[in-house]
Amino acid sequence: MTRVIEVPAHFDDRSFDQFAGDFGAWPPEEKLLVDARGAQWASPYGLIALLTAGQAVAEAGLERPLLTVPNSDEVKRYWARIGFFRHAAELFELHGRVPKAAATGPSDVLLDVTPVRAMEDVHQVVEKISETASRILHGELGLERNATMRFSMALSESCQNIVEHAGTSGWVAVQVYTFRRRLGRRVAVIAVSDAGIGFRRSLESTHAKRFGERWGDGAALEAALIQGVSRFRDPGRGQGLAGIKGFLDRWKGKISIRSGTARLAIVPMWDDDVPLADHLPFFPGAQVQITIPATQEVESR
Amino acid sequence: MIETIRIGHLLRETATSPYRHLVTRPTGAAVRHSIEVALSRSDCLTALLDFSDIELLDFSCAEEIVAKLLLAQAAQRPRFVVLRGLRDDQHDAIEQVLTHHRLAVAAMVADGEPVLLGFVSGDARAAFACVCRLGRACAADVAQALDWPEARATEALESLTHHRLVRPEGDLRYPLLVA
Repeated sequence: MTRVIEVPAHFDDRSFDQFAGDFGAWPPEEKLLVDARGAQWASPYGLIALLTAGQAVAEAGLERPLLTVPNSDEVKRYWARIGFFRHAAELFELHGRVPKAAATGPSDVLLDVTPVRAMEDVHQVVEKISETASRILHGELGLERNATMRFSMALSESCQNIVEHAGTSGWVAVQVYTFRRRLGRRVAVIAVSDAGIGFRRSLESTHAKRFGERWGDGAALEAALIQGVSRFRDPGRGQGLAGIKGFLDRWKGKISIRSGTARLAIVPMWDDDVPLADHLPFFPGAQVQITIPATQEVESR
Repeated sequence: MIETIRIGHLLRETATSPYRHLVTRPTGAAVRHSIEVALSRSDCLTALLDFSDIELLDFSCAEEIVAKLLLAQAAQRPRFVVLRGLRDDQHDAIEQVLTHHRLAVAAMVADGEPVLLGFVSGDARAAFACVCRLGRACAADVAQALDWPEARATEALESLTHHRLVRPEGDLRYPLLVA
């Protein structure tokens, strides 16, 4: 038997739950066919979630899933350009013609799909993004000049969380695009995903007791993002997410973290997301999206 | 005596890499260890940590280098610590981690003006600025300059002394970078 997982036509953090729901119980018992033929657009969040699914299947020792590539040449070219197929080929049996990733000129891709396996990768991610971030964040989004460093700090802390807490490797990608439906403005998006143990298991031994019967994926996210707790007993831990929240407050940005069956977000005025969504379809590890909008002054130019 | 430690130089030596960014806890811990080794060989009373070669300082490194260094200094041979060459975003990171630990440190900003980062009361900040402006001051000097009751000035100076943000000599308090 083969279970078909349909990649939503417009694959982002909103349509992710539909994708996660297709897997049924984890680990899935059947061979998986991930069908991306109808995909018309995917955010960095969607693309690294696809890789996370492949990684989770591989780490569970299951049969290598199939992935049918998008029909649209334009979509395929973009997925190739952001480096998706290069990594997907290691996790999926790809079906369909995959274009070579050609070097293009100036790009809205700030950081290709990049694996995060060790702290050394965090250094390289930060180094790489510092070359282009200033042009995009200041020039295109109108953020203050030193926003580049704060943006890189947020990226660094998000990636370190994978290495320190996930128990396995993960993925990161950063892109700028126009948030037409929700905001009507350009945004910079950091997407980070791993196939690891998730927030609940990471924090369980040190914090579950305090929450009693309330303990679950939602409570674990609340403990980490709102209360700033960490699984480490070192009292200085847990400040990375606190620092990111401070920047986002200044930039009217959004952070959303999905882990297990829950998603918690700090929702700015421009978005209509719910702060906490619980009882969602299970998905392994943790998925983080940080969204930073262009200033209104830039959009009205 | 003042021992100046260039953090960028230590980063290059410690991480054996070309990176200019202070990111990740292991990197921060390694740099802090190098600072502690340098200080253990020095008789200086004041350590001046110069961040001017550093591009990025994330929260993890701010915690590992600055907060843990101050915590360790309090437990070992106490020294005065001053930071130099920080940019706004680096201020933010250090301010956050020190506030979390209820610690504070003096920093020299671009125009040479000393400021306090971290967990410090408004009175202590005002008294610190007053001591820096006067060059040295006792509680009566601060009370007169700020038009405070002397007890209030005494309390503010005690707080600064406790956090090693001014150098005490008898009743007088000196800014840290005055020899």
